[in-house]
Amino acid sequence: MQRRLTLLLAVLALAVVGLLPLVAMVVTSVFVSGKLTLAIYTKLLSNPLQYWIALGHSLTLATLSAVCATPLGVALGLLFGKTDLPFRRTLTVLLGIPLLLPPYVLAICWFNLLASGGLLAQGAPVQLAGLLSHALYGLPGCWWVMVSALAPAVMILTLVSLHAIDPRLEEAGRLVARWPVVLYRITLPLVLPGILFGGLLVFLLTLGEVGVPVFLRYPVYAVETLTQFSAFYDFGAATAAAMPLLLVTLLMLTLERRFLRAKVYNLRPSTPGRRMLRVPLGRWRIPAFLSVSLLGAVMVVLPIAALVVASLSPFAYWEAWRQAASSLGRSLVLAATGATLLMLLGFFCGYLIRTRTMRLWRALDTLTLLLFTLPGTVIGMGLIALWNRPGTAFVYASAAMVILAYLAQYIALTSRITVATLFNVPQSLEEAAQIAGAPWLARIRHIVVPVGLPGLVGGWLIGFIFCMRDLGASMLVYPPGQETLSVRILTLMANGTPSLISALCVMLVAVALSALGLLGLFFRTAAPRR
Amino acid sequence: MNAIELRAVTKAYDGRTAVADITLSIERGERVALAGPSGCGKTTLLRLVAGLEVPDSGTIRINGTLVAEHGRNLVEPEQRHIGMVFQDLALWPHMTVHGHLDFVLRYDKRSQPADRPSRIREILEMVRLSDRGRAKPGELSGGEQQRVALARALIAKPTIVLMDEPLSSLDPELSLHLRGEILRLHAELSFALVYVTHSREEAADLGSRVIHML
Repeated sequence: MQRRLTLLLAVLALAVVGLLPLVAMVVTSVFVSGKLTLAIYTKLLSNPLQYWIALGHSLTLATLSAVCATPLGVALGLLFGKTDLPFRRTLTVLLGIPLLLPPYVLAICWFNLLASGGLLAQGAPVQLAGLLSHALYGLPGCWWVMVSALAPAVMILTLVSLHAIDPRLEEAGRLVARWPVVLYRITLPLVLPGILFGGLLVFLLTLGEVGVPVFLRYPVYAVETLTQFSAFYDFGAATAAAMPLLLVTLLMLTLERRFLRAKVYNLRPSTPGRRMLRVPLGRWRIPAFLSVSLLGAVMVVLPIAALVVASLSPFAYWEAWRQAASSLGRSLVLAATGATLLMLLGFFCGYLIRTRTMRLWRALDTLTLLLFTLPGTVIGMGLIALWNRPGTAFVYASAAMVILAYLAQYIALTSRITVATLFNVPQSLEEAAQIAGAPWLARIRHIVVPVGLPGLVGGWLIGFIFCMRDLGASMLVYPPGQETLSVRILTLMANGTPSLISALCVMLVAVALSALGLLGLFFRTAAPRR
Repeated sequence: MNAIELRAVTKAYDGRTAVADITLSIERGERVALAGPSGCGKTTLLRLVAGLEVPDSGTIRINGTLVAEHGRNLVEPEQRHIGMVFQDLALWPHMTVHGHLDFVLRYDKRSQPADRPSRIREILEMVRLSDRGRAKPGELSGGEQQRVALARALIAKPTIVLMDEPLSSLDPELSLHLRGEILRLHAELSFALVYVTHSREEAADLGSRVIHML
């Protein structure tokens, strides 16, 4: 009873936070002055060129990014997860850093490196610098930034999938074939669903990206819907314009459910604690290390160094502090609150999905994933459609809107981290406490949470990092005069000096890296206890 | 009155029958060994008695009380006052031996807080772990872990103790020794014991009655 009630409350909370805004958005787009009409859609389709071109741009950018980020992420995941590459942990962390930053911060990094007057332009031959500066804008620049921002997601998904493989499956293959054959015929097919899901994630996250195309001047669909909202303040048109993004996301997730989920193998090691098998690289060890280090230097160190260098002008940090200290403080508080609520709600959703206590666990899982892959602007518009009413103005005009946006967009992260954590907590531990007479909440408090603590703390920190970097939804729903740091940077881009913008970005990077450092420190101290 | 009574109990997972139409009575203080090959439903039967699974049909009575019938649990596992030793022992890695035992007593409605320390001392002596109260599972040997699991199952003085192949992962010598310990504890506390095993030898040693499941 206690369990069903708590889980039901969690489901209801998620419905209010994530599902109702989408319903409200659809309703808003088909009701004009209280009448059911498709007038907005007719109007939208009567001006097709602008939208179709933008949609074409979006799909091109998303496809190109997915096609390139997926093999890159898989190659890195295989190198870090399956080989004896030196310093693989350090390199994993290094190449994972872009995922922690808002993609538009990476765009600013590359701007500081490649644009005319940037770090490279000062040292490279004029022709080369001109070529690179030209390529920075439009599709090539957006593509490169999105690849460097999201390839780490595929890398991490590949690593997670590799960790789930029972080493005995590969050992059985090694008895009859060499490593390349085992990797190609056994390992890769086993992790293929994870890899394809990674590619799908890159596609959908790129499709909803707003900051990078705005900064690098590439008109994509998500920006068009935002323009309808912010420039023309035509909310009906904005919600209608957002509908194709919702439909594409739904279509892709349906395909994922139809074709990928059926292929997910049960890979859990039959002998827990067995270490993953590693392929000896032999004479390729050093060349592989040098290649990956070079990639890390080009994709991560160089652009961040360019950002730091650009921020090193007199008074840049003083000015940044003066202009955005309150935004930074607000971001920290909102991200910490958001992460705590995300972990709380995500824990119960994850518990429900893992234990399948209620029949709607699959629908819940799909909803969280849909919300994660939806463009932040769509979620923002949905929240506005739901809460911008006289009766709920007290919510609409408060920072609670930002928290609601965080909860809707990132609940998939904490619920899936909980599911992964609970996979490592044998069900018998909770059952033993149940047999001992402990009620459900006591079992959660005394057994499940303490045993799964490292994973749950990791989930909190990841939730915190994603709330800190959020832009899409929070730029639509922040209350007047209460911007988060990401939003503040975006608004200052219009009239702030490059050094001021860079200094603000460095502050954001510093917070993300500190959270990453804390995560590493926590796992280092938690590991011996387990 | 029987300690456990199952009537026409059936349980299936995803259309595959794990336990089919089982009727069984176990008397108070009796030692019953359930033997049989893997997949014959021994563990499912144990979990049905514990309340960790719900029977699709049939009825289950514990000490005369109807606890489950036709697709629903009438009494939840935490209210059945049963002791259980799991196959993987299910020791809580973050708790000390003392913590394990204290946890069980805390949720045992019949135990008084003031009696807990003496009860813990008593059971630790009984399983010969008096000096290991502060250790966590990771710091114990296989045999000691086994005895912690036994102590946890017995500390609330249950009338029924279920054991799911608890000795299957131990070497033969230690297994033999612990079988003796289980028999000694049973003689002292006289609970009804249901012992699941796939070893005929273990079944013959521990069961006053052996039921072969096919």
